[in-house]
Amino acid sequence: MTAMTAKATARKQKKTWSLWTERRLPSEYEAVTYKFHSHFRRAPAPFELSEGWSINQFYLKNREGSKFALDDWEGYRDPRAYTYRRYVEDQRDREVYCDNLIDEFERLDSYRKLSRPWLDFLGRHYLPVRFPGHAMQMSAAYVAQMAPAAFVTNTFYFQMGNEMRRVQRQAYLAKALALDNGRAELADSDAARGLWTQAPQWQGLRELIEKQLIAFDWGEAFVSRNLVVRPIFDHVFNAEIAGLAKANGDDLLSLLHDDFRNYDEAYAVENTKALVSYATGKVASHAGLLRDWIGKWAPLGERAARGLSEALATAPGADSAEALFQRTMAAQAKLVADCGL
Amino acid sequence: MPKLQRRDYYDTARDMNWAFSYVNEDEVFPEELSKSFGIKGDEWWGWDEPYKLTYREYVHNQAGKDDGIYSIRSTIARSNLYDNLDVGWKSAIKAHYGAIPVPEYFASIGEARMARFGRAAAWRNMATFGTLDECRHGQAQIYFPYCLLGKDPQFDWAHKAMHTNEWGVIAARSLFDDMFTANDAVSTAIQLTFTFETGFTNLQFLGMASDALHVGDIEFGALISSIQTDEARHSQQGEPTLRIMIQNGKKAEAQKLVDQMFWRSWKLFALLTGISMDYYTPLESRTMSFKEFMQDWICRQFMDQFKDLGMDLPWYWEKHFLPELDWVHHAYHLGVWFWRPTVWWNPDAGVSAAERDWLEQKYPGWNARFGKLWDVIADNVRAGRIGKTYPATLPIVCNCCHIPICSPSVGQAPRITSHNGRKLSFCCEVCEWVWKSQPERYDTHLSVVDRFLAGQIQPPNLEGALQYMGITPEVAGNDAEGYAWNRMASLAAE
Repeated sequence: MTAMTAKATARKQKKTWSLWTERRLPSEYEAVTYKFHSHFRRAPAPFELSEGWSINQFYLKNREGSKFALDDWEGYRDPRAYTYRRYVEDQRDREVYCDNLIDEFERLDSYRKLSRPWLDFLGRHYLPVRFPGHAMQMSAAYVAQMAPAAFVTNTFYFQMGNEMRRVQRQAYLAKALALDNGRAELADSDAARGLWTQAPQWQGLRELIEKQLIAFDWGEAFVSRNLVVRPIFDHVFNAEIAGLAKANGDDLLSLLHDDFRNYDEAYAVENTKALVSYATGKVASHAGLLRDWIGKWAPLGERAARGLSEALATAPGADSAEALFQRTMAAQAKLVADCGL
Repeated sequence: MPKLQRRDYYDTARDMNWAFSYVNEDEVFPEELSKSFGIKGDEWWGWDEPYKLTYREYVHNQAGKDDGIYSIRSTIARSNLYDNLDVGWKSAIKAHYGAIPVPEYFASIGEARMARFGRAAAWRNMATFGTLDECRHGQAQIYFPYCLLGKDPQFDWAHKAMHTNEWGVIAARSLFDDMFTANDAVSTAIQLTFTFETGFTNLQFLGMASDALHVGDIEFGALISSIQTDEARHSQQGEPTLRIMIQNGKKAEAQKLVDQMFWRSWKLFALLTGISMDYYTPLESRTMSFKEFMQDWICRQFMDQFKDLGMDLPWYWEKHFLPELDWVHHAYHLGVWFWRPTVWWNPDAGVSAAERDWLEQKYPGWNARFGKLWDVIADNVRAGRIGKTYPATLPIVCNCCHIPICSPSVGQAPRITSHNGRKLSFCCEVCEWVWKSQPERYDTHLSVVDRFLAGQIQPPNLEGALQYMGITPEVAGNDAEGYAWNRMASLAAE
């Protein structure tokens, strides 16, 4: 009886979307992501308004009209196959981990044990990072809304959320450090804004970030963000800062950045590599296009990395600015090379 | 737990505004993507959301909510719950799934536009949550009908609809693209989050959830009420945006945005929710009539909040909106049933003797106005003249709401007018006003009838129209009950 029931079930063919074209059935991830951008390359205009309406024209120019084009973006897959549900589940676990970490260090009264020079360094050269961090969140939101398939868009939604995650933990630390050390300026937004907009070491990054925000071609926005800004920014503000923090007895900061690096940065890197590989696999000449865009943004990237390296070199026990700069640019170059570019 | 509470560090986590100097502010926030209404840079920085939330709370809450709805789904998948649902109710959820999940995902693009082009960091943070929310709503709401594909091919339209030019889809897409997919960030905050999500989504997501629980559709009820908890939060981006516009002397501009989108939303939701509540929901499960839901949730609750912020009622409130509450969705229902092969669900006539009594009680005068039209249909069905209950031609469609023009059913002539030499048809004065108040959004857009007349639909008959609309034989709608309502009505008459 049991065998017969099983047989009957097996015979009943599972149904899938009529628009799905492969022979195999889609996974749940594919069923809830496939062909959601019905407006991409829709004729006569992406959106159900006048063709001349400014946002139709904006998409026709910056999405449909981008040189970063190929026939089937619906074939792209997030290496982690994230649905919203799986993303929030994973990040809930990450955030519980961060809460536990902070709780553990707070029990040991760790903020008060940090040295004055380290706190001075954090105030000037680290805590204003929430401004560019927020801009990275904005730029992920941009690539997401312009990408030609939900398979690409959603990975940028999740990167956007991850940028916010890091910024909010940084804001938390700023406030906790300020309160426990009686140094209100560490959490003062006007003071941080002043440093971000005026202090010389931040200006290279600020120029890069501000200009990246107006790279409106979706392909160029992806390349400038994920192959120039991100690898430089993440190397400095995940890897190097974690090392310096550890050397200065700030294990909490070090461990938090390890978490951002191992999970969120890794997610961005996996998707950067996968998207480049997908695109160049479909259109080999895209490798040249992407290299050209990287080349165009490289001078601004180097200037940003130089300023940040000089800033980090002022931390107690830091390497020279030149060594920091070389490592930062090497990290960026490695990502580009890992993408096969 | 970390020792600092959200309130202790929240401001530090949301004040990331600065004045750009390597690029111009109007390059970072171009007018087409973020209409400033002449309000400059730091005037926006005081944007203050009423509902405060951090990322750690967000993922905690949302993962919990998803655990809830997906576990209900997998429990119900092992039951025969769906098979036992009322046929009219099944039509209501099919209409919902075709019109809502993918547009909700489109709303994630509108939210992402605010997350990038919103003019304050606090706002962009709220829109970041809003973006993720709408991604959730698209995915969860499409997964449920995906699991029902084996039960009925009409559920395929949850996924397919937005790829087609079905007339109701054009109406929905026209509204949603205007409101969020192709709207600027500031107008989106007023039109999507303030006008639409604090008003109309309550109807569909709480009103229909309440009906769902009475019908016994626990799955649909749990899904959409869970979604509404997100809407209730991210809809609150509208109020602070509105406050800044009012403080900067832009009340008239904000009022116009509300008036335009309130009307457009009303038309589509009269079509979607109006019919579902008053005709497709089984009589014994109706918690309130559509008009009562509208009066309670839109006319009273939403408008109270609206007036508290110093806004006025839309100019058309007394003359057009309140009178339409009595008739417009009844006319739409008649049209949808008549043109039933053009929709992806099976319209339930919903006019058995007992249902007609209910309609007359809730809408005095219904029998005289609409009942007599159903009498003609019923006579034709009884006499076996089914052919006469089908359309031979296409209706005239409104160039603004894209819904067939029904106003003659209450003695109002359609408004035939022109713009720069182009002939336009509108169902009413308000649709004409919405269109003419912003022709740059609509002036070259063709309604489905314009496309027919322009020769884009071939062959130029109903068959060609169905093909153009993407309707296939296994999906084309038919009477939900196989005309059983009519047999019951005739028995009652005898």
